[in-house]
Amino acid sequence: MRRARWALGGIGIALLAVGCAGLDVGNVIEGGMKLIQSGDDIKGAFTDIDEPEEVELGRAVTAMIGSRYPLLRDEAVTRYVALVGNAVALQSERPDMRFYFAVLDSPDLNAVAVSGGYIFVTRGALALMRDEATLAGVLGHEVGHIALRHHAKAIKAEKRKAALKTGAEVGASFTRASVLTPAIGLTIDGLGEAALKGFSREEEGESDVVGFRYAVAAGYDPAGLRDFLKTLQDRGAKETAVSNFMSTHPGTEERLKAQEALVAKATTPGRRNQARFQQALAPIQKR
Amino acid sequence: MRKATLLMATALVAMAATLMAAETTRWVERTKVDVRAGRGSYYEVVDTLLKGEQVEIVQTEGGWVTVRTPREKVGWVFAAALSAKPVQPGGGSDFLKLAPGDASTSRTAASQGAKGLYAQDYAKAKGYDYTVVDWVEGHQPSSPQIEAFLEDTGETAGGRR
Repeated sequence: MRRARWALGGIGIALLAVGCAGLDVGNVIEGGMKLIQSGDDIKGAFTDIDEPEEVELGRAVTAMIGSRYPLLRDEAVTRYVALVGNAVALQSERPDMRFYFAVLDSPDLNAVAVSGGYIFVTRGALALMRDEATLAGVLGHEVGHIALRHHAKAIKAEKRKAALKTGAEVGASFTRASVLTPAIGLTIDGLGEAALKGFSREEEGESDVVGFRYAVAAGYDPAGLRDFLKTLQDRGAKETAVSNFMSTHPGTEERLKAQEALVAKATTPGRRNQARFQQALAPIQKR
Repeated sequence: MRKATLLMATALVAMAATLMAAETTRWVERTKVDVRAGRGSYYEVVDTLLKGEQVEIVQTEGGWVTVRTPREKVGWVFAAALSAKPVQPGGGSDFLKLAPGDASTSRTAASQGAKGLYAQDYAKAKGYDYTVVDWVEGHQPSSPQIEAFLEDTGETAGGRR
């Protein structure tokens, strides 16, 4: 199979820069070297993460996202989105991972996968969907990021950056409390930005492929994600939110082609569940 | 002759018992594994296993197994979390090690992490509203609701891992 090279569109909003500006490079390197010499204390910047760490970081990033975008505190809508999400997640490579799904009360187009199994979709993105199969396709893509541990690379990269930055700030007088606790904070800050921005093109492509598979295995129409991408393409020129999204996330056309190829090979029709979707989301579709 | 036969039989029985134990004993390969009341991540947690702990396999179904834990609790875990060979305890998250206790080896610290105490501290320091996390975690569908939904969407026909 052709390796994913599609640009993605993990579906993202504009984000703020991670505040690394103003750092003196010489101090950063010197501080980083001092930290590296500390052996065990800095080991965490370079080793793999495990699930408890993923979850704890995910909680912190969720708090950060919740501070930027209002959470839709509608129990029925949240439950419905989570039911569809769980049906899809159960088909993933990590069916034992606890997933949490919620809706951000924003007209922006976005769906965000946070480490630890926290997945958000905006009201604006839901408004572009027409049935449950489409929602399953989009959520399947997000579950894919977590199932394939795409956050691990980002977490390790952010840990390295944080270690270097905190090392520069405190020099040789560091202790676990004075250095590594700020390092955790910086890691979470960077992760939050990364979660909103999306992953690499290859990772987004991988998530498209596995997300398609999860949705189909859960009994949904294979064309769900394809239909969402098609809607993005068709409406991009007419609607500001869509065109804004597409300008920051190029590659929708390539992703669409890849999904069309997958749909053409699919052998089962699957369900669309349009009536249930419209009924469940009626409270927010009218806004 | 009779003595030799008896010895051989005893040896065979001992060997069989060892082989059977090897077939049903597994060791936890991950830092922390929740043992749940059903085959899904949304079921109630009945016990929490730490890396290196030994469990006995009671039943296998798909990619899931029922295990008996060292605390005599019985529940489901995903088979990929277990190893057929002994696993050394420890070696877990560096992140959680930074807080008091060590979540990779301490059940108390692991449960503190599970409650989000470290994330709460971070949110408080940054001025973020942690009730967002509490709300999201507290408003997910129950296991009966998910099971009913799966039946309705045809997920059962697609099977589960």
